[in-house]
Amino acid sequence: MKKFNIKGLFPLAALAILAASCNPLSIEKFDDPNNPSVSSVTNNATKQQIQYLVTGLESKHRDYVSNVTNGWGSLGREIWLLNSSDTRNITEWLGLNNFQLNANVFGYGATGGGSYASPYGAVKQANVILDAAANTNNLTDLEKKSVTGFSKTIIGYQLMIPANWLYGNGIRIDVKDEKNPGPFVSYTAALDHIKTQLDEGFAELNAAGSTLPFKLSAGFAGYDNPAQLAKVNRAIAARLAVYRKDWPGALTALGQSFMNLTGSLNDGPKHTYSAGADAVNPLFAALDLSNPGNLRVVSPSTIRDATPGDQRVIDKFFKLTTPFTVIGLTGEYQDRRYTSNTLPITFIRNEELILIKAEAEAQLDQTLNAVQSINIIRNAAKIGPYTGATDKNSLLREILYQRRYSLWAEPGGHRWVDVRRYTGPGLLFASMSEQIDASFDKGIVYTQFPLPQAEVNWELYKNK
Amino acid sequence: MKQKLLCFLLLCTVIVNVAYAQKTITGKVTEQGNGLPLPNASVLIKGTNQGASTNTDGTYSLGVKDLPATFVFSMLGYESQEITVTSQTTTLNVRLKENANDLNEVIVSGLASTVKRKNAANAVSSVSAKELTGVTKPQTADGALYGKVAGANIRSSGGAPGGGLSIQLRGFSSLQGASQPLIILDGVYINNASQATGRATVSGAGASSQDDGSNRLADINPDEIENMEILKGPSAAAIYGTRANAGVIIITTKKGKSGKVKISLSEDFGLTTPLKLLGVDDWSEAKINYFYAGTTAAQTTRRNLELQRFRDAQSTGNFVNYEELFYDNKRFSSNTRLNISGGSDNTQYFIGAGINDERGLIKNTGFDRYSIRANIDQKISKALQLSVNTSYTRSNTDRGFTGNQNRSGASIGYAISATPNYFDLRQRADGSYPDNPYFTENPIALVDKSTNNSLVNRMISSFNLSLNLFQTDNSFAKIIVNGGLDYLQNTTNIYLAEDLQYQRGLANPGDILNGKQESFNTNIQAAAVYNWNLGKVNLNSQVGLVRLDFANDLLFVRGQGLAPLQRNIKQSALQTVNGQTFSKIQEAGVFLQQEANFDDKIIGTIGVRFDKSSLNGDVNEWYAFPKASLAINLTRFGFWKDNFISQFKPRIAYGETAGPVTFGSIYTPLVGTNIGGFLGSAVSATYGNELLRPETAKELEFGVDLGFFKNRLTFEGSYYIKNTANNIQTLNLSPSTGVTSVPSNLAELQNKGIELTLSGLVIDKPNFKWNSRLMYWKNTVIVSKLDIPSYTIGGFGVSYGTFLIKEGTKLGTIVGTPQITPGVYTEWGNSQPDFNASFSNNFTFFKNFDFSFLFDWKKGGYNSNLSNLNTDEGGTTKGWFEDENGDGIPNGRQRNPAPYNNAGRFVEEASYIKLREVGLYYTMPTALTNSLFKNKVQRFRMGVSGNNLIMISKYSGYDPESSTFGAGLANNVDVQPYPSARRFFLNLSLDF
Repeated sequence: MKKFNIKGLFPLAALAILAASCNPLSIEKFDDPNNPSVSSVTNNATKQQIQYLVTGLESKHRDYVSNVTNGWGSLGREIWLLNSSDTRNITEWLGLNNFQLNANVFGYGATGGGSYASPYGAVKQANVILDAAANTNNLTDLEKKSVTGFSKTIIGYQLMIPANWLYGNGIRIDVKDEKNPGPFVSYTAALDHIKTQLDEGFAELNAAGSTLPFKLSAGFAGYDNPAQLAKVNRAIAARLAVYRKDWPGALTALGQSFMNLTGSLNDGPKHTYSAGADAVNPLFAALDLSNPGNLRVVSPSTIRDATPGDQRVIDKFFKLTTPFTVIGLTGEYQDRRYTSNTLPITFIRNEELILIKAEAEAQLDQTLNAVQSINIIRNAAKIGPYTGATDKNSLLREILYQRRYSLWAEPGGHRWVDVRRYTGPGLLFASMSEQIDASFDKGIVYTQFPLPQAEVNWELYKNK
Repeated sequence: MKQKLLCFLLLCTVIVNVAYAQKTITGKVTEQGNGLPLPNASVLIKGTNQGASTNTDGTYSLGVKDLPATFVFSMLGYESQEITVTSQTTTLNVRLKENANDLNEVIVSGLASTVKRKNAANAVSSVSAKELTGVTKPQTADGALYGKVAGANIRSSGGAPGGGLSIQLRGFSSLQGASQPLIILDGVYINNASQATGRATVSGAGASSQDDGSNRLADINPDEIENMEILKGPSAAAIYGTRANAGVIIITTKKGKSGKVKISLSEDFGLTTPLKLLGVDDWSEAKINYFYAGTTAAQTTRRNLELQRFRDAQSTGNFVNYEELFYDNKRFSSNTRLNISGGSDNTQYFIGAGINDERGLIKNTGFDRYSIRANIDQKISKALQLSVNTSYTRSNTDRGFTGNQNRSGASIGYAISATPNYFDLRQRADGSYPDNPYFTENPIALVDKSTNNSLVNRMISSFNLSLNLFQTDNSFAKIIVNGGLDYLQNTTNIYLAEDLQYQRGLANPGDILNGKQESFNTNIQAAAVYNWNLGKVNLNSQVGLVRLDFANDLLFVRGQGLAPLQRNIKQSALQTVNGQTFSKIQEAGVFLQQEANFDDKIIGTIGVRFDKSSLNGDVNEWYAFPKASLAINLTRFGFWKDNFISQFKPRIAYGETAGPVTFGSIYTPLVGTNIGGFLGSAVSATYGNELLRPETAKELEFGVDLGFFKNRLTFEGSYYIKNTANNIQTLNLSPSTGVTSVPSNLAELQNKGIELTLSGLVIDKPNFKWNSRLMYWKNTVIVSKLDIPSYTIGGFGVSYGTFLIKEGTKLGTIVGTPQITPGVYTEWGNSQPDFNASFSNNFTFFKNFDFSFLFDWKKGGYNSNLSNLNTDEGGTTKGWFEDENGDGIPNGRQRNPAPYNNAGRFVEEASYIKLREVGLYYTMPTALTNSLFKNKVQRFRMGVSGNNLIMISKYSGYDPESSTFGAGLANNVDVQPYPSARRFFLNLSLDF
């Protein structure tokens, strides 16, 4: 009955040979063809790998800049971000139409973005470095001290960002295990933890010898050995001390920092930017475009309250030929500090340190010293020496005013934090809106942010 | 595939006949009514595998061993006839009657088997060439499916030429995957990705999901398609395994038939106009005073400037309606096709070539597709049959700049929303373009000095080798090996000239982003089929294996700061690699299937497929996908006496499938980052999951197929429950750990739905025929299980409407501000329609005239419509300055619902009824054709047709279908889309 076709057997035979030569059911497990893996550095990382991770940390160290500068700058009415492509930079950040903050505010999103996820991303990077350094034989103990000291310094700097953003809600400080983060602790406890990190980093840098085992970008030029990095660490510690109201501690830290009463007020370590594969300066804005579309403008109250002839106003604010209007808000001045997209951004400056000195001195009733410190700033701004009252509160008001113009729209979000520091029972201000004028935008002055959606969710998930 | 199998069977029987026949019956098969011969009709001896097919002149000859015997004459599209042949018979001529509801049509039932529709246990949709392209001219094959497949929700992302559609079969199968069906063309797993173009990068819109690139089914010329079969869910698609969660679309291209060479030349001349315009608002001094209110010097200056501009325009009458300028255009298109087909008994060929040239409504946009195909079937020996199908396509698409943007100004919609009609942006006599004081870009300059081009070169080639091992009266066995390749190369170019308004303000003016994407898919499948009869039961067994290999390679390079008029990246100041990714996927599967058919009375199938994939956490783990189905033809049993009901088939089917893990999800990378000349390794915010499994879906489908009056009227009703499990979800971690998400298999979905089709030949008179079909389908999808907290995703955040993923909640729920409790927002609508329906009709009158139309109805389903946010902010929305509630605040500043600060204003019902297709054709009678064309032309047909001629919708935007995001959960967010088009055609076709 069967009728075989001989010709038909050829392809069958060919198929059998093919099947024997390569098994069509065998598949490979591929390594990631696009990236190295995290696990490649956790065990006995090479010096080169540590270098890559440190560079990664320096890169992540600048991720918060745009969000904090523009977001907190708007909260403190230092600036308005007039964005005609997405007006939520105005409506939500300034609280127009009675907008209520929620867990997904535009620009911050579900993770808190540049004010939360980004700084914690830098902390994660630093923690991976700490792990890698602890588990490698390719670095000497002395070299490890530089690696850990630098990493902890950055951790200290970065953790202040979420702490100041969520403020009374507190933050998590035990964040090494991504599957099991620790609880939220109070603002005060968080700052105490940051102090420990910075102090450990300071001690390690002091014990790290004279050279770093890694290279940093040009942003750290002048701060690229353990001793100089230790001074950066103490500058950050001084900023922290102010938040902790530890006035003697502030003065001690300043003494060990790079503060220089006669040096340039602009001295300090920088976030580097360059063209190409690198990131460009996120605060760059070309001057006086006919329609800039998205422009950081100086808030009208900042212009109104400026002292005539203030050199800082001249240096930082540019008067637009045509005022820029978006949904009824008009900006007449734009930020002129970064007119090239490759300019670096100094993340802590001598000027801030001198202002911290003045504040600590005023708080410690070292009136004369405080006035001297204030006058360093005033003279640089060409507005003449301080002639006002010298009681503590008057000095503090003067210092806050100088901080407003000296540290205008810097990536610490200073104005918003400063006003909050001095608002409350027995403090200078009864409410933040006393100092932060929202009348030009008819918005709301917010005190702090609620937990972002991802944290709300994680708490639910953990407790499920 | 089915034709190949049929041919194969017939060829085999010929061999057998020669050996065993005792008597030969001859005859001719013709069409009832016109008496034209019917080539390729099948003649089978009932209860055996013996048969023949008719020649080009309709004649056949078939040997028969035992008499009397029952001859079954059948042909697709005609009613079958059974005639008993006695020993007296020598000549048997048969006339077959045309049948609109053909239940003898074969549909796919396995990887190497088919089943007649009347015996099928699944509601598999089949769309023929006539339905696809017979009424009017769709640009793309998916666009031709609107309203033709019950259970398919099709959505076009906008009106840009060259497609950009998503097809969602039976709801959602995935939360993060695109829920797009697997597409297999002539046995090749083809790429239907909506590929990145980089437009959203350059325009600042965001991720490539906003590129609005075409999905690559656009490369398939719909005119080359013979048939599309749609396996809508796992119960029908289980044997396709890992990639079939969202259904499978099987496309079969046209084949040659033995006989005289047939040359067919067709030409469609098209005219494209906008489907809908929204209108723009006029200005008055009162409106300007309100819009530019304010007391500061700057505000007063600006107000006076605007008043002056308005007065200037008034005095010269120079107002510009920008919407009309950009969108209200008439564009021409042409579609030319040449098909040559024919063949001998051993060789058949089909050669098709097409040129599709379509201009878009917006200047400098369009879609050109050049395609050529050769399909060859060769009988190598009596037992061996080879088919090779090869096609080459070149698609050249210019889609312009619409949709979302941020600051770059590279979106016409944004720019014209912001610009009042009293300011003239048109090119000046000296060739310059004025700067736009109201936005970052002059859109007229943008259109003239920009490019958004995608040039695809694509080759799809397949083979099918069928070897007949043996053949008896009662059984046969064969081996089928098939496979093929899909090579796709997409060169994209996004360009904004250095002298554009926005570019001039940049550090490096002029922006060019060039992309090269290459994808190479290969697949091979081998199956052994054994078919035998056991008494009255026909048994069909298959076993086989499948192997898939996919490779993708993508490189985007960017140049900013261009030398004047230069478009080579080497001519730019800032040269960067914008992105490069490689991916490589290997998959393997084995399958077993057993079908049993008891005398066409009871038909059952069981099968299983096992798959493994390099995408999975464990590459060596086999995942099993079982299936089982049963159909009972009650009318075939002896007890059925009713003549009114000609078919009564209850059916039930169950199957499981999977959706693949996204490439890269198992890796935890250190991402490259550059700073100050150093390369760094940065810990990614997204971790991988090495335990990741594919998403799975289980579907139970049951239904009933009814036929009345000899199947002149048919009804098909199905109900399904599709439960998915292991849905891949982003487990959002506490961002404080520096890791924001890790993929995990932590969700389950449930889709339940109903699909009803009623079709019939309503009137059947010699001079008037009316065929009608009514479809209705509805799907409800809920998140049945979510082991992570509820969250929102997609769209543009809670202020504008975003999508809630929450256990027990309908998927597609749109929520937004105000917040109710921390992280919990107000519900404003749901993206999923309440139901869909379609109504199609075909009338034939005076034999030579043909009139068809198709209405498509989507009821319910909401969009997040952000387009009028822009026009409200620019004061250009029609009726902006009216004040509905009389509170002194114009409508444009205060959209419902109160208190006018929530997301409710953006979430809008997007129901529509569209007249998708309408066509009127005249086929010249043969006698007249012969005399007119002096016997040089066999057939001449001409007609007029249209596509999307009518839209009935209360939706306030251009098109309720439009979306700035492509396929996926969030594909109903309307942001300044490319307006949809209405298309008219004059169609001519000549057969030589």
